[in-house]
Amino acid sequence: MRIAVIQFPGTNCEHETLVAVKECGMEGEIFRWNRPEQELCEFDGYVIPGGFSYQDRVRAGVIASKEPVMATLREEAANGKPIIGICNGFQILVESGILPFGDGVRLALAQNVMIRGGEIVRRGYYCAWTMLRHDAEEKRCSGSYILRRGEILSIPIAHAEGNLVSADKRVIERLIDDGQVVFRYCSERGEIINEFPVNVNGSTENIAGICNPEGNVLGMMPHPERAFFAWQLPWKHPRVQGYGPGRIIFESMRRYIEERRL
Amino acid sequence: MIINLRVWLKIPDAEAATVKNTLLRRMGYQGIVRDVKRERLLSIEAEDVSDTDSLIKQLTRELVNENKENFAVSVDSLELSNGYVPVKVSLWIEDGEAISIRDRLVKRLGLRMIRSVQRANIWKLYITGDDPEAVARKIAEELLVNPNKDRYEISELPRP
Repeated sequence: MRIAVIQFPGTNCEHETLVAVKECGMEGEIFRWNRPEQELCEFDGYVIPGGFSYQDRVRAGVIASKEPVMATLREEAANGKPIIGICNGFQILVESGILPFGDGVRLALAQNVMIRGGEIVRRGYYCAWTMLRHDAEEKRCSGSYILRRGEILSIPIAHAEGNLVSADKRVIERLIDDGQVVFRYCSERGEIINEFPVNVNGSTENIAGICNPEGNVLGMMPHPERAFFAWQLPWKHPRVQGYGPGRIIFESMRRYIEERRL
Repeated sequence: MIINLRVWLKIPDAEAATVKNTLLRRMGYQGIVRDVKRERLLSIEAEDVSDTDSLIKQLTRELVNENKENFAVSVDSLELSNGYVPVKVSLWIEDGEAISIRDRLVKRLGLRMIRSVQRANIWKLYITGDDPEAVARKIAEELLVNPNKDRYEISELPRP
């Protein structure tokens, strides 16, 4: 089971993402964006990690979305292979039109706007631990395959542009109706409160992660690779053994691939 | 009155170079797009003042770093030169950075005559062919704009 961790110029989470992939029992390698794109087809799944591809020039993710590797990833997505886009990877998937429906750019991840009591209290880059509620059905999405609906995870974010918006309200309605909303920002008790600090970036409907209609492509703003080991969690002792909540995203991918092979 | 402050880099503009490179190498615009340049545009709406020049000097001192940037100012009109198609891209959703600039000017610098600030990028597309405006629109829609948050307009084409 081989996973390609896609590296664009400016990607900066590829190494820890690769560690997470391997720790879950999968083989993996960092796949540079300028390798022959046909080589991508040899892999069983893909992760587009976080960072600042092309320095976020023009807008986050758009330059990377024009690279030939993305055309190949689109084909592999249509073949049912799993793809997880994390943070900038999510932005790239949206700008390439692979998410949400595979038929064009239907969403934007706009600049963060933090709102409380009807007032804008903060804007721009924000880095914090967030609570996520898994809103999809079990096995709906490759990246949350073994999560039950309603489970709550604590995973950190670090971004300036994660405010999911659409010019067409029907896009958001369709995402909700079709069960494509995978993660939403929530309180510690799982309540969806559309106010900062629960909604950390002003995202419509508190959406933190979505999948495509088929469920094999997941895009999420939070960074599961930064909550993979228990020692990464700020409330744990630094020498504590074991895993953190982020592991379940990569473990899900592995289980999805295993079951798809049967 | 509206003070239009156009700012561009003296040093090479990596963002414009990346756009040009992407258009030529990834999007099939070889032989069509000759060059791409970029300017930041701040359109600052202010109450009429007796000494406009003094206000403009204050604004440029605050908003331009002359060590790395050049600028041009025009009042009410947007004076562009010819030879390119100017594509003006701005946010149609709330622009937090523009609001921050206005607040900085009004609250910190005491320029209480400032009413609003709007921010945009002007992409100067040097295009060959019969219908450069149509090509510019295509480029805007394929690369420069995400319609879920951005809008664009082709600024009035300068007379040759």
